[in-house]
Amino acid sequence: MRHAIVTEIWIFAIFGLGLNLLLGYTGLLSFGQATFFGSAAYVAGYLLKYYGIGIFTALGVGIGVGALSALVVGYLCVQRAGLYFIMLTFALNQLFYFIAYQWTSVTGGEDGMPGIPRPALLGIDFRQPLAYYVLVSALFLLSLWAMQRIVESPLGKILQAIRENEVRAEALGYNVPRFKLLAFVIGGAFSGFAGVLYAMLFGIVPLEAIGVVFSGNVVFATLIGGSGSLYGPIIGSVVFIWLSESVSVLWARWPLLLGVAFVIVVLFFRGGVVEAWSRIWRFSKRAS
Amino acid sequence: MALLEARELSKSFGALTAVNAVNLRIEPGTLHSIIGPNGAGKTTLFNLLTGRFAPSAGRILFDGRDITGTRAHRIAHLGLARSFQRTNVFPAFTLLDNVWVAAFACSRSWRGLLWRRTESYAGVSAQARQALNDVGLIAKQSELAREISHGEQRQLELAIALAAAPRVLLLDEPAAGLSPEETRRMVALVRALKGRYTIVLIEHKMDIIMSVSDRISVMHFGSLIAEGTPAEIQRNPEVRRAYLGGMAA
Ligand SMILES: Nc1ncnc2c1ncn2[C@@H]1O[C@H](COP(=O)(O)OP(=O)(O)OP(=O)(O)O)[C@@H](O)[C@H]1O
Ligand SMILES: [Mg+2]
Repeated sequence: MRHAIVTEIWIFAIFGLGLNLLLGYTGLLSFGQATFFGSAAYVAGYLLKYYGIGIFTALGVGIGVGALSALVVGYLCVQRAGLYFIMLTFALNQLFYFIAYQWTSVTGGEDGMPGIPRPALLGIDFRQPLAYYVLVSALFLLSLWAMQRIVESPLGKILQAIRENEVRAEALGYNVPRFKLLAFVIGGAFSGFAGVLYAMLFGIVPLEAIGVVFSGNVVFATLIGGSGSLYGPIIGSVVFIWLSESVSVLWARWPLLLGVAFVIVVLFFRGGVVEAWSRIWRFSKRAS
Repeated sequence: MALLEARELSKSFGALTAVNAVNLRIEPGTLHSIIGPNGAGKTTLFNLLTGRFAPSAGRILFDGRDITGTRAHRIAHLGLARSFQRTNVFPAFTLLDNVWVAAFACSRSWRGLLWRRTESYAGVSAQARQALNDVGLIAKQSELAREISHGEQRQLELAIALAAAPRVLLLDEPAAGLSPEETRRMVALVRALKGRYTIVLIEHKMDIIMSVSDRISVMHFGSLIAEGTPAEIQRNPEVRRAYLGGMAA
């Protein structure tokens, strides 16, 4: 059981890394990341279930579907700004959710798509929680490494330049909408990757996996952890999943607690836990 | 042949014609100034030349090529760089990163865009440092743009334009809001750039204009009312009436 929770944390963290390329680095608040997460989970889940594809094929499919769905959604969204942009990511997410809800013959609608297998690979039985935990941990580290390369690359700098000053970035010679779209596609690929791992973890694609609440959760978790740093979404995932797994058992209205945490972050620590921690650290260093 | 040319260029905002049938020829290697009272349409003219706004009428030619309606990021790649009247930098970036993104934008190759470390682009980084060095900010390369003084931000503004190694430099009031001492330094800087670049300069301060320009165009209510050498402009009665009258003394 404990392995399952940590596995879920890593998966959610990969999802958060993808969002934060948009939110933290490019300054785009997407409220529709579950679109890519869920679409990838459904497609790969379907292929795993009915066509018996391998685990890495499934992950590849997830990356592809995540990127492709993000290309479509991103294409429609990057031309808008501010609130329109946010609303559009939200609305398109609702559209995808509605399709999944209605298309019961494939997605199972409200019941979700159960029976997703975890295929063995090289004789390793990933149905063992520990084996799957190790796999996901390794893939999480790989994702973190990949994202670190991306944010330290010229692309990372350009996306931050767009966040800082779009007009100047354009005047310098950067096709701003094109770069935003690229950020979407990469973020979508990470989301899709996470979505497939999620489906295999629980053996089901629940309808919520493509829902706007899920999109909101990853924004929440990332902001709580701190969108200003690479590690923010990871810390956010730890806090979020741990709270939802432990406190929710004791107290049904736990989202209230999350809401309070969120308000504290927004009012006092715009940089989330990462900033709060570095402030406390600096303070204690000065005090000693 | 002119390097940059505007033909009957116009821009209207609703009922207001901010730029009205302007004809302008910028010869290569010259420093060509544009003067005119507040609201004359100088900045709007820059916004048209750099593709930020699409013109309502007229054509723009760069190096003999029609670039009318070409988007800003493409025009930048052709070799047109501008500085802004209102400081327009990347506040949370270090000074070096500010010029680095500018230098990278127009670098020859974007290979490794997604995975190479920024420090591994030796040519881009050298060009970026050179731009900071040119404006005298190299010692502050690791400071954040939002934490330097206004005067230094104006210098950075210029460095960002320089970092792209452009063929034409459009400078929109580089000395805006500077103290006399800072202004002197900025004028020396612009003078040092003269000859290395083709420069189009918007400026209000008459003494600067008269001392650095090869040619001057005078704008008034969106139209060009005169063009010539500094001496010719000073003698022009229409210019004196429209503009110099109140300011030259
Ligand atoms: N985006 C815009 N929308 C509407 N009107 C505009 C816009 N940009 C400029 N204008 C108007 O066009 C006219 C010319 O403005 P512009 O900024 O080009 O003048 P300027 O010569 O640069 O003046 P200054 O010396 O004060 O910088 C002004 O009346 C201004 O209000
Ligand atoms: Mg102006």
